[in-house]
Order: sequence, then structure tokens, then C-alpha cells
Amino acid sequence: MDYQTPTGIKHVLRDISFSLLEGEFASIVGPSGVGKTTLLRLLTGLMQPTSGTIRINGEVVTSPPPGLAVVLQDYTRSLMPWLSVEKNISLPLKRLGLTKAEIAETIESVLNEVGLSGNQKNYPWQLSGGMQQRVAIARAIAVRPQLLIMDEPFASVDAQTRFDLEDLVLKVRDDFKITTAMVTHDIDEAVYLSDKVVVLYGSPANVKEIVKVDLPYPRNQVSSRGREEFAELRTKIYAQVRGLQ
Amino acid sequence: MIKRISLNAIQSLWLPFSLVAAWWLFSTNSEDPFFPPLSVIWDQFVFLWVFDNVPIHVVPSLINLFSGFSIGVLIGLVGGVIIGTNQGLARYIEPSVDFIRSIPPVATVPIFIMIFGLNYEMRMAAIAFSAIFPTMLAVIQGMHSNNPTLLDTAKVFRLTPFQTLGRVRIPAAGPIIFSGIQVSLQVAFVVTIASELLGSGFGIGAFTLIATDTFMITDAWTGVILMGILGYLVNLIFNLVERRALRWYLASKKLS
Repeated sequence: MDYQTPTGIKHVLRDISFSLLEGEFASIVGPSGVGKTTLLRLLTGLMQPTSGTIRINGEVVTSPPPGLAVVLQDYTRSLMPWLSVEKNISLPLKRLGLTKAEIAETIESVLNEVGLSGNQKNYPWQLSGGMQQRVAIARAIAVRPQLLIMDEPFASVDAQTRFDLEDLVLKVRDDFKITTAMVTHDIDEAVYLSDKVVVLYGSPANVKEIVKVDLPYPRNQVSSRGREEFAELRTKIYAQVRGLQ
Repeated sequence: MIKRISLNAIQSLWLPFSLVAAWWLFSTNSEDPFFPPLSVIWDQFVFLWVFDNVPIHVVPSLINLFSGFSIGVLIGLVGGVIIGTNQGLARYIEPSVDFIRSIPPVATVPIFIMIFGLNYEMRMAAIAFSAIFPTMLAVIQGMHSNNPTLLDTAKVFRLTPFQTLGRVRIPAAGPIIFSGIQVSLQVAFVVTIASELLGSGFGIGAFTLIATDTFMITDAWTGVILMGILGYLVNLIFNLVERRALRWYLASKKLS
């Protein structure tokens, strides 16, 4: 992937190749500015690669494909403040050919899933940051996506809320088996949530290593993070992100 | 709560009250024919405007204002959405729009007189024309300043073009659009009065001009006061509508 910049062409990503199996959770980590967000924009079809192709289920991605959902870092800009929680969730559902009753039922079940039952009529700005991100997650799972893409989804909430949201993601994953790709700069979080961690490094960036995470499920903030493998994995990935290995 | 309301009332009303009181006091013994005592103006105001002359002068002005304003804003909204969603088109059209809206709206009244003559259609067209541009430019600007994250979200969730426009882009531009509509309203009010100054027997503008020309100075003063009151009320109604429509925006600003 190249960018035209005022000083010439900048190669951002080169030879990025990794695959994501159905139901897998992959995190993409790397130093700041390495091109993580560019990669996500390519995956979502919001941006076209200058060479090469992105395939989801064998289909080349040229625009946002059906069966895709996103959760972005900036929930204040990705939820519509002029729409109530239920309207925010139902907006993408209208296209899917569901009846009114089915939409209402879906909204109720996804809000229940993210622990926000009864908040249908509230507006996003009436909710805390963590709750707004829960709404964004609810909206994403409501479309029953085949692929869920998250861009630093917990970077704008406080530490306690972050742990809660991480556990929510684990629970959603367990309930819906959605294939997920998440960009994060938090290596602990990547290890805690993922089946594999894709480490990007260099300029132009390429895949330095794909680290498999074998921590057993169900994972738990206390015991999973306390395991020896957890510490080993995070140290290893940290060294790679820092370019020490 | 009641305390706060009364505090607000004091904050906003002390100045107008003091000014009116001062005017009343200093004009009590005035013998200048151009500055009659306010008490005399007030008696005449009540005599003229409660409510004998309202149907002949106030109603036509308000009808002109609201129909012209509505037509102008509607054209401005539609035109703004078309230009605002079409970057290529904007480049061809925006410079001309910028030129036309730089002409003081009142100065276009003679042109409309030439086209339509001295009649109701002329007034309507002049008011509508003046109301188009503030709204249109606000819509264009509002759509251009749509947040990229918001547009990406709409794309990824595959909203229809209609949903993206009606549920995402236009509401997001709402605060800017409303300030444009408010300017349209103010300009339309000015043009309403100005268009009545030429060849009209009806309307507050016409009434005030005729009163001045025939040295009915007290009547002219009542006309000026009436215009002030009407302008204020029209703006007040607009603010109420705006506050209702942009509730999400005002509330989210207050919380953040």
C-alpha cells in the first residue's frame, strides 16, 4: 500500500499476508504509525490497495462487503447522537429485510447481550463512555456479521471499564462465534483476547510474526493474566514491537 | 427552580426596562414634533395596533414573510444538499453562488420590480431570493464538514444513500444548517419591510413610510416599534423550533 505524500510516494504496507480462520480472534499490533489503521481500512474496503488484493471468503474486497461490522475507537463519532440507542442499532438492520417485530426483538437481545437492557429510548450522550462503546458493540453484533473489525475499541475508556469491555468481547465471541480482527496498541489486551497476534514492523511494514496464543478458555482477568505463558507471550510480542528481536 | 427563572428574567429584562423607562422619562415634556412623548406614542400604538389595523398591515407583512421565507429556505435546502453531496458540481457552482449572495439583498428589489412590476409576486420573489443563499451556503458547508468517521461508519454498515443523507449527513450538519436558516429569516424580514416601501399601500413598511411622508410622526414611531416587536417574536419562535430540533446537540454539548 502506497500513499502519495507531498514529498513523494510513501510505502506504508508491503507483503502483508495473513489469514483469519472462521471464528478466530486475531489482534494486530505494532509500533505507532506502522500502518495498523491503514490495514484495517483496507480490510473494511474503505480504502483500495495500490497493489495486491484483500479477500474475504475468497471474494476480493473493493468496497465494504456485506456481513461486515466495525467498532471504532471514537464512539462519540461513530454513534449518531441524534438517534436513540434503538435507532442507532436498527439503522443498518433496515436493509436486511427484517420485519419491525424482528428488528425490535434483535435490538432487545443485543442490548441484553451487552448488559444494557431497557436503554432503547436513551440517547448515546446520556450514557457513559463505556456504555456507548457497549452500544457500538451491540450495533455491530445486531447485523450478525461474518467478520467483526475493531479499531482500538477500548482506547478511550478508563482502565476498569476497559477490563469490563474486554470480558464483554470474550463473552460475545463465545456466544456468537464471530470472526474478529482487532487493532490495538495494548499488548496485554491483544494476548488476553486473541487466538493469534499479528505483529507488524518496519517501514514499509510487513508481518514480522504471527504469534499463536494458546491460553485456555474461558479466560479470566485474574487467572489468565497470571499464567506463565501470558507473561512469556507479552514479553515476546513487546520485544518484537519494540524491534528488540 | 423558580429562583433561577426569576434571575434569568432579571438578567435579560433589566436593560430593555431601563431604556423604555428612560425614554418615557426624558420624552415626557418633549415638544419636538419629531420626538413626541413616549406616552403619546404608546396611546397611539394601542389605538392603531390593538387590533384595528392588524388585518390590513400586519397580516400581509407576515404572510409575505412566511411564504417568501419558506420558499427560499426550501430551495436553499434542496440546492445545498445537491451541491453539498457533489464535490465536482460544487466547484462549478460555488463561485457564482458566492458572487450572487454578496449583493445586498435589498438592492435586488428594483430588479424584481422590473421583472414582476409592483405587486405581490414581486415581494414574494424578492423575499424568497434573499432567503435562499444563507441557507444554501450553510447546508453546503455543513455537509462538507461531516465527520469522516461518521461517513465511514455509514459506509461500513452499508446504509442506503437515502439513509446516509437523511439519517447521517443532514442531521450531522444540523447545527450549521439552523444558523444558516436563522440568517435567512433575518434577511427575509428586512426584505419584507424593504419591498413594502415601494408601491405598496399595505404592510408595516408601507404604513410607516406613508406615515413619515405625511408627517404623521407618532404613527411612524408606532410602526417602528411594531417592527421591532414582530422581528423579536419571529426570532423567538425560530429559537424555540431550533431548540426542539437540535435537542441532541444542545444536550450533548452541555454534558461534555
